[in-house]
Amino acid sequence: MTPVQGVDQAFWYILGFSTLLLFGITAVMIYFVIRYRRSKNPVASDIRGNYFLEIVWTIIPTLIALSMFYVGWTSYIGLRTVPENAIEIDVAGQMFSWLFVYENDKETENELVVPLGEAIKLNVTSLDVLHSLYIPAFRIKIDAVKGMETYVWFSADKIGEYDIQCTEYCGTGHSAMLAKLRIVPESEYLKWLEEE
Amino acid sequence: MSTGIDKTGIKIGMWLFLYSEILLFGGLFVLYAAYFYKYPEFFSEGGKELNRVIGAVNTVVLLVSSFTVAASITAVQRKAKKQAIGLLIFSIFCGVVFLVNKYFEWGAKFHHDIYPNSETLVSGEVGLNIFFGLYYVITGLHGLHVIIGMILLSISLVLVMAGKVTESKYSMLENAGLYWHLVDLIWIFVFPLFYLVL
Amino acid sequence: MIKTESFYDTPAPAGLTGIKAWLLTHDHKRLALMYMWAILFWFVIAMMFGLLLRTELMSQGRTIMGPEVYNSLFTLHGVIMIFLFVIPAIPAIFGNFFLPIQLGTDDVFFPRLNLFSWYLFMFGGVFALISLFTGEGFPDTGWTFYVPFSVEANSNVSVTVMAAFILGMSSMLTGLNFITTFHRMRDKNMGLMQIPLFTWSLYATAWVQILATPVISITLVLVVVERLFSIGLFEPDKGGDPILYQHLFWMYSHPAVYIMILPGMGVISEIIPVFSRKSIFGYKAIVWSSMGIAVAGSLVWAHHMYTSGMSDVSVFVFSLLTFLVAIPSAVKVFSWIATMHKGSIEMTPPLLLALIFIYLFSVGGLTGLVLGAVGTDIHVHDTHFVVSHFHFVMFGGTGFAFFAALHFWWPKMFGIMYEFKNAYIGAVLTAIGFLFHYVPMFILGLQGMPRRYYDYLPKYETGNFLAGFGGYLLCLGILIMFGNLFMSFKRRIPAPSDPWGATTLEWTVPSPPPVHNFVKKPQIKEFPYDFSEVGKREKNGEKSRKIL
Repeated sequence: MTPVQGVDQAFWYILGFSTLLLFGITAVMIYFVIRYRRSKNPVASDIRGNYFLEIVWTIIPTLIALSMFYVGWTSYIGLRTVPENAIEIDVAGQMFSWLFVYENDKETENELVVPLGEAIKLNVTSLDVLHSLYIPAFRIKIDAVKGMETYVWFSADKIGEYDIQCTEYCGTGHSAMLAKLRIVPESEYLKWLEEE
Repeated sequence: MSTGIDKTGIKIGMWLFLYSEILLFGGLFVLYAAYFYKYPEFFSEGGKELNRVIGAVNTVVLLVSSFTVAASITAVQRKAKKQAIGLLIFSIFCGVVFLVNKYFEWGAKFHHDIYPNSETLVSGEVGLNIFFGLYYVITGLHGLHVIIGMILLSISLVLVMAGKVTESKYSMLENAGLYWHLVDLIWIFVFPLFYLVL
Repeated sequence: MIKTESFYDTPAPAGLTGIKAWLLTHDHKRLALMYMWAILFWFVIAMMFGLLLRTELMSQGRTIMGPEVYNSLFTLHGVIMIFLFVIPAIPAIFGNFFLPIQLGTDDVFFPRLNLFSWYLFMFGGVFALISLFTGEGFPDTGWTFYVPFSVEANSNVSVTVMAAFILGMSSMLTGLNFITTFHRMRDKNMGLMQIPLFTWSLYATAWVQILATPVISITLVLVVVERLFSIGLFEPDKGGDPILYQHLFWMYSHPAVYIMILPGMGVISEIIPVFSRKSIFGYKAIVWSSMGIAVAGSLVWAHHMYTSGMSDVSVFVFSLLTFLVAIPSAVKVFSWIATMHKGSIEMTPPLLLALIFIYLFSVGGLTGLVLGAVGTDIHVHDTHFVVSHFHFVMFGGTGFAFFAALHFWWPKMFGIMYEFKNAYIGAVLTAIGFLFHYVPMFILGLQGMPRRYYDYLPKYETGNFLAGFGGYLLCLGILIMFGNLFMSFKRRIPAPSDPWGATTLEWTVPSPPPVHNFVKKPQIKEFPYDFSEVGKREKNGEKSRKIL
């Protein structure tokens, strides 16, 4: 299972349970309002609580919540566990663009090109204020902090062009701080890497 | 509906306020702890550059003044107005001594080019910069509290003189005193953290 | 009933006249009303800012403003909404007005301090205004004032930060006042488990205010100090750590979320039993969950920082704690719904607003689970998903609780009734507009549109257009709602002392209450939500109010 699938499963799990709960809460609420309206039920029963019920609806949500925590955590492990043979690329955020530095010192601005079928590890830092590297297609995001190196990784498993955005507010050009990720076949990548 | 003055209530309010003051410094102590963990050797190096004698003298001065403030409250309760006034004046004087010491201490540091954003700190080791940065922020904020405390004591002094603070109604003086103890208490933490570190 | 003079006719302290009777008053009720007008003013301003923002986003590229203006508008929208509306709204208005009455006393413990808090509040507001028109430009850092940007930005950040500092002081002193009042002024016959839930929730809130506000105060002071002296406590080149700032900031600002929502929950806990004519279900559970939220809510701050680069161990711990803090909120929702079971439910505008609250707050809470779980949060962190989530909680939650409280206590505060039909129209329209406005943002967020974006990729245009459209609908609904309330000043239909058939003490005094609140000694009930007498009264043919 790829990390993307792991995260998506967690999304389905949590959103599914939530929708179910929301539907239940709303339906019961509306039913009560109609069923026990004053014209139909002029005298209310004097019920002040029910320990059994209260314990049940404390414990069951706790278990559900813990299971959600577990699903979320395991999918996070997937995002943090980098395969050993990953290609490492250094990334630096600056106001307002992304710089990518490859192992052979090739440097590009706002253009990240990686070969198909490889794991890619991005070592992220910032040259000025906080930024955050976000590639929605791979469900990854990490803050770029000056004086600190953070990382993310993804598995480049499908040819195509993907958006990279900055998600930590960094000033006037924040929303223009975009870059492109291109996943290309290995041969094309090697050719590109050698270009000036 | 309420009859008379609820001294306990006033004290609860004051304690809650003091609590918030401690948390205010608490935020800074959290910073201190985090940076101490990061730069232990520079903290001990910086600590040695501070003047322990002045620090110790200031500690004693504050402790004594705390005692005299407490004594002045007792004096008011015993209707010894003159004695209370004398003790209060002495306490405020102690505050002045503290600030004068602080002034000379800071002055000496400035003289050695150690102050926020100074050449020596900016181009020197970052750990030292953080140590002295925290030193200035924490002692500066504490100094501000000393001044506020002195103002409160002065107001109480005027009220004692005017006969507005009496043995049956001394909440103002008591709360000013509590505030002064807080100033003292915080210093008791600041002193070892900066002057006696390792 | 004997005719009594309302607090409008009796200045406190006595002898004040004209405007002085308001500006120098120690009366908690007058102060509450003064807060109300100031807070409504700020609410409308910030709402207009929000509408301008969404209008800008309705189409791609520049629509009505440039990025600089956009950035300062969203900063101000956040600062004003949080510090001048959501945090003070319920405690400062309804807390000030009703906490003393619900406790059976004549005022808060420190009336003059209360007045001082109001002045601090106004002063903070003035500072916020000053920051707009002085210095080198509008503040544009976002309400979080993240370093290093907030230290480096050329705009007028210091004054805005000071405004937030002063407003923090004001809310903290109000909290201090409430705690002392709660302990020292409570009627002697009222035990802890006889206190109305609204007051309980304010008590829990007050503790969070006192515990958390100093931390934000010192953090904001540090931002100003850094701007003035460039010490470098958060500057990596000088040995500082910007992540520490975030820790300090959220150590306050997450508990602040509970400062915002707890009083709203208190309001709902009052309204649901009254219109179900049935005791609240699980009174003790609600009290304990309030206190539980206050405590646990202080331990989860770093769930705002999963992507900040902090250690995976911290991420694990904070995620786990976050899920545990969700439970008390769930318990409250279940209790409210169970309260309606076998009740005798009368539909009124406050109840409708409370039901909308339960729905919107549930959505907000449940989407919070997506954000609490680490793997999913990474994807939607700092996207429109988060924007939508916290608006569901803060606006759908606190905002609607505020509207509900206005409709619930309006007759008591002003002694007049408003029209029901327009109130329903306003409430429903607001709710529909709300959903149109914020649901598209959930989808935008899942698609990956970041927040605080002046412009966006073409694929996000439809969602943004819909959200903008919903925004207009939402504002129209609020306009109708407020318009209807204000019309009541013109129609002046007098409200009886207990128009709803409620049981807590504020409904035993005249509407509006006299200056010392109680005409005769308050009768403390064994249990605050005992409706048996209300039913009996009605049987004897005593109608509590005309149906409007």
